[in-house]
Amino acid sequence: MQKLIIDINALCHTFSDGYLGIKNVSLSISKGEFVILAGKNGSGKTTFLRHLNGLLLPDSGVIFVNGHDVSKHLIQTRKTVGMVFQDADTQIVGDTVFDEAAFGLENLKVKRSKINEKVTQVLEDLNLFHLKNRSPSTLSGGEKRKLAIAGILVMNPEVIVFDEPFSNLDYPGTIQVLSTIINLNRSGHTIIIATHDVETIISEATRIIIMEEGLVKEDGKPDSLIKYLESYGIKEPCSSKLGLGLQPWLT
Amino acid sequence: MAYVTPFTYRQGQSLLHLLDVRCKFFMICLISMSMLSAHLSACFFYFLILLFFFNKAGLNIFATLNSIKYFILLLFFIFIARALTVKGDILFSFYGMSITEQGLNEGILVAFRFFLVMLTGLLFSITTKPSSVKSAVQWFFKPIPFVPEKRVAVMISLSLGFMPVILKQAKEISDAQKARCSDLQKNPVKRITRLVLPLLKKTFLSADSLVLAMESRCYNDDRTDPEFLPSGKEIPFLIGSFIISLSLACL
Repeated sequence: MQKLIIDINALCHTFSDGYLGIKNVSLSISKGEFVILAGKNGSGKTTFLRHLNGLLLPDSGVIFVNGHDVSKHLIQTRKTVGMVFQDADTQIVGDTVFDEAAFGLENLKVKRSKINEKVTQVLEDLNLFHLKNRSPSTLSGGEKRKLAIAGILVMNPEVIVFDEPFSNLDYPGTIQVLSTIINLNRSGHTIIIATHDVETIISEATRIIIMEEGLVKEDGKPDSLIKYLESYGIKEPCSSKLGLGLQPWLT
Repeated sequence: MAYVTPFTYRQGQSLLHLLDVRCKFFMICLISMSMLSAHLSACFFYFLILLFFFNKAGLNIFATLNSIKYFILLLFFIFIARALTVKGDILFSFYGMSITEQGLNEGILVAFRFFLVMLTGLLFSITTKPSSVKSAVQWFFKPIPFVPEKRVAVMISLSLGFMPVILKQAKEISDAQKARCSDLQKNPVKRITRLVLPLLKKTFLSADSLVLAMESRCYNDDRTDPEFLPSGKEIPFLIGSFIISLSLACL
């Protein structure tokens, strides 16, 4: 049994207009899991994810990350749970690839020499080092998404949360990001991906959670839930429709 | 791909690219102030120096002038306004308005001074990374009490970094409207309103996303201090700029 890294009890979140975004969600995630959070648009996936990083705080209920209450340990939580947003363009703060990757460590007031060392290592790992002086706005979609991942990785997170990581990406960009995510999981990171299109990633996942109207409707292994996806407005992967089961998207 | 403005930083290894940003700031302030009292011959002398540095920085002066053609049009209006409003020996009159010799001379001088200040600023922004500008602002504001220098520096850096994103969004909105025959609308006020309102909405939404992205990476005011990398040529450049400023003021 793997150690629990995220533990959520009776999480509820209501927006300022009274709309109930998350309704009494309880679940836990173990270290090293690869979780897909699936659901159609407006099902509450993004709202749920933002609670894991402390960007939104629960109206009721409690979230523990590594045993610490998120509401009381925001900085610790954000160091443990890194978040990659849907739109990489608006996530980018630095004016070169290197500066962008260094942003998180500068916020943690890490020494400059350590920052340079860590950023260089992460950029090399993600094959972005040759672009270190480029302006992020001139990168391709896949490179921008990888840079957003680099900006998170320098902070040594144990959990990485992705919100629609493949949206607006072309085929090569999707391959770049997908292989990066798979490698991160293999190197021990816990991965949580929110998406309405599971085709690309489902064969890699160890677990799928289906959300609808702020509720967790299903939670289980991908192969046991694959045939129920379309009843929640999520497209069933082609390989499953053709009777081939779950086939890896990366060949 | 990002929208590149005439002021966008371009990578390079010229002397100006490598010069410490604090030195560049000091030089630009000194020269711009002495420009206020410079005569035409001094302006011409400084223009030649600027041409030399444009060349050294690997920039094509004609392409640069083309990219600031609307500013040059504005200078033309300043010139006309001066020529028409300054009293003196009348050269010729029409419809009750007269152009004077003194007005013509002053118009040329004022327009030329503005033009040189503009070119100096352009050379500075093309050869200086926005992150270095941020670092310099932070350094200059540090001794001033009650000024949150780190916050001011981040605000400046974000404004500079967000310009290409905003321009790209404006272009997208404009193209989307043109695709629906917005060109047929001849009223410029209506055309601008239709462009500005969705642009503002998009900009505010992007700013919201940026705030979340910064917060998720533990943004706070107490950050690692910026790093300055002097090239070792700062003293000769400072002496040179002092001599140029004296020449501009006295010639």
